[in-house]
Amino acid sequence: MLSRVAESLYWMTRNMERAEDTARLINAVTLMSLDMPNGAKFGWDTLVRVAGLDDLFFDQYPEADEASVMRFLIQDESNPSSIMTCIANARENTRTFREVLPWESWEWVNELYLYAKSALPGELDRRNRFEALQGIIRRRQSIVGLLSGTMSGGAAFMFLRIGRNIERADMTSRILDVSHAVILPADTPAGEQYGDLFWMNILKALSAYQMYRRHVSVHARSAQVVDFLLKDALFPRTVAHCLNEVAAILSALPDPGSVLEAVSNTLDMVASSDGEKLVKGGLHEFADRIQLGLIGIDDALRKRYFRLSYPSRQVFGMEE
Amino acid sequence: MKCENYLTNGAYDELIERDGKPRPIATALCDHFSKLGNAELSSRVAAVNAAIMASGITFTVYSEAGNIDRAWPFDVIPRIIDGHEWARVEKGLKQRLCALNHFITDIYNEQRIIRDKIFPFEVLKDSKNFRAACIGVVPRFGVWAHVCGTDLVRHSDGNFYVLEDNLRVPSGVSYMLENRHLMKRLFPEVFGHHRVLPVDDYTAQLHDTLAALSPRPGERPVIAVLTPGIYNSAYFEHSYLAQQMGAELVEGADLVVPEDDCVYMKTIDGLKRVDVIYRRIDDEFLDPEVFRADSTLGVPGLMRAWKSGNVGLANAPGAGVADDKVVYAFVPKMIEYYLGEDPILPNVPSHLCMIDTEMEYVLANLDKLVVKPANESGGYGMLIGPQSTQAEREKFADLIRENPRNYMAQPTLSLSTAPTLCEEGLAPRHLDLRPFVLQSDRLYATKGGLTRVAMRKGSLVVNSSQGGGSKDTWVVEGKS
Repeated sequence: MLSRVAESLYWMTRNMERAEDTARLINAVTLMSLDMPNGAKFGWDTLVRVAGLDDLFFDQYPEADEASVMRFLIQDESNPSSIMTCIANARENTRTFREVLPWESWEWVNELYLYAKSALPGELDRRNRFEALQGIIRRRQSIVGLLSGTMSGGAAFMFLRIGRNIERADMTSRILDVSHAVILPADTPAGEQYGDLFWMNILKALSAYQMYRRHVSVHARSAQVVDFLLKDALFPRTVAHCLNEVAAILSALPDPGSVLEAVSNTLDMVASSDGEKLVKGGLHEFADRIQLGLIGIDDALRKRYFRLSYPSRQVFGMEE
Repeated sequence: MKCENYLTNGAYDELIERDGKPRPIATALCDHFSKLGNAELSSRVAAVNAAIMASGITFTVYSEAGNIDRAWPFDVIPRIIDGHEWARVEKGLKQRLCALNHFITDIYNEQRIIRDKIFPFEVLKDSKNFRAACIGVVPRFGVWAHVCGTDLVRHSDGNFYVLEDNLRVPSGVSYMLENRHLMKRLFPEVFGHHRVLPVDDYTAQLHDTLAALSPRPGERPVIAVLTPGIYNSAYFEHSYLAQQMGAELVEGADLVVPEDDCVYMKTIDGLKRVDVIYRRIDDEFLDPEVFRADSTLGVPGLMRAWKSGNVGLANAPGAGVADDKVVYAFVPKMIEYYLGEDPILPNVPSHLCMIDTEMEYVLANLDKLVVKPANESGGYGMLIGPQSTQAEREKFADLIRENPRNYMAQPTLSLSTAPTLCEEGLAPRHLDLRPFVLQSDRLYATKGGLTRVAMRKGSLVVNSSQGGGSKDTWVVEGKS
């Protein structure tokens, strides 16, 4: 597998996964805002902060109201992480290595792109927005299915899966942080009622609600949900599951030592976390630490597989 | 499809006779399209266009900034060629490529053809595509041009003529394959009326042609398609062919040639040896150590590796010396000289401006002739006399006087036509044909090729870089 192609496959799925996960995040928030009590406010700015895009956002928009935040996250092409930009980037990436993917995958990615172009116009009301984003999620899931069903499990597929899982872990860690976005009015009766609704929507955003109910509890209590999303070994979008996947894939690649070390450092951190403590304070900081861990893995991948240097050979015109 | 009120304007029409009736070979097809009815036909055409959009079969036009690719314009009515006729054309194509490869070997080695005064030294002396770096090299099988795209046109006399031989980096074969794929997907039933010879084996043949060049026979060769990158107009094709052959698609920066003079690609597991490179980059950009030093597309040291026999290169550097519109005029003589055979496919009669009397004739008849520069491709820098303005003719007269060696002229051929779906309905449009011919340890020619259509009414320019379209091309065996 060419290093350039491996890197571009990795980024292609990261972009795809980011588009899907952003769509999920927005749909969760839309549902949540419908469930909130009178007088409660939703901090739309939290959403751009969670995505790590607050500087870029406030450069261009004076105020973080719903319409601006939605436009920024969904279709703003100056935002490198907007759904539209991610899909366009993924499509461009796909063009550069159609030869390593099943032939239909280009058609499907292209179709997703054409769909996004037509389904995500200027202003979307909440209902249309929900439907349009479900359409994105569904098409992206078909592509994942197509690749799993028709691609040999060689290096190309491995880098796709690594990219997908790292991006997924990243978004799951960020989504935990959305809990700070709901500002309940001071006179809301105490108790877990709205908290439950909130965490239920978070689980729904990750299509995790049903599995959570089956395997953990019918109540979406905050500490339990946090523990579930961080550490559950079986659900495919939890941080621990994603990183375990990455570790397993890496073991089949040549000399993965340095990358595996970065993965297990982050896994250890996640394993030693405690949901009860985190919901009382420090959830945001913990999410930050996970993201730093993921950046470390990304860095290790680049050094080991994408931008190798060949010190033993004197070669004219080599990078690094 | 109504074929009744169809005027062929004196040109040979591929499907319709002069009396307006379908040719025997096209009867079943014309009947079928007539029965479809306009509504059904429109809906199929819409489906074709949707399929082209969805599959992203694209062609890049350099001037369209911002939007890097454009959907491939495809006409749904196939062009039909009789199988018996094709068998003869195929022989002629192979004969031609054989002779051209003999010529290139001779030119870079003994130059017998010049000593024997068949081919003038002056033509070689001024050749832009002669590569001094190739002198003394004899590639495996004596073959330089492994992939050739020969442009054919059918004149009003009903005969095929060779318009030019593309020996550098001919493109278009992926569109030939995709056109067939589209037709099968959208008009599966029309195939039932004819025995259409398949074209799908091209990529397997290309693979085997390339594999035969491997310096390490016996092992499974590592083949790479070398592309200038995503912004090249033929990038779609590069990636298509790499995918179909199971080859690596590489860019120059993916390859290195260390001191052992072998070519390696940079992989996630370190360096891996490459045996054969199907390069889709022009000579000048291939190796900055030998050719243009400012090239960032190429691979430093590639020529060293090739000359040491450590890598197969297709087409070989320097093959373009025979891809010159003046050299073209000598191909019939080459066939006689090297093969001792009569040429099967005729050239279009050509006037070489380097010969004084010919130049005078050309200058006096600019309004009737097509003038071509020796080394341009893609239909650029041509003068089509009958459609030109006085100012254009004067400009070309000056150009010719300045550099006679660089120009040749041919009578304006009446390119054949075929019914094409246009805005005004079904109308004749001019077309040409580019079959693809392969040579290494074997000789192979496609069944048919890429039919290009000049979509503008009356236009003779079929190049896709200038807005041409294409048709599926059927070589049909026996009676339908």
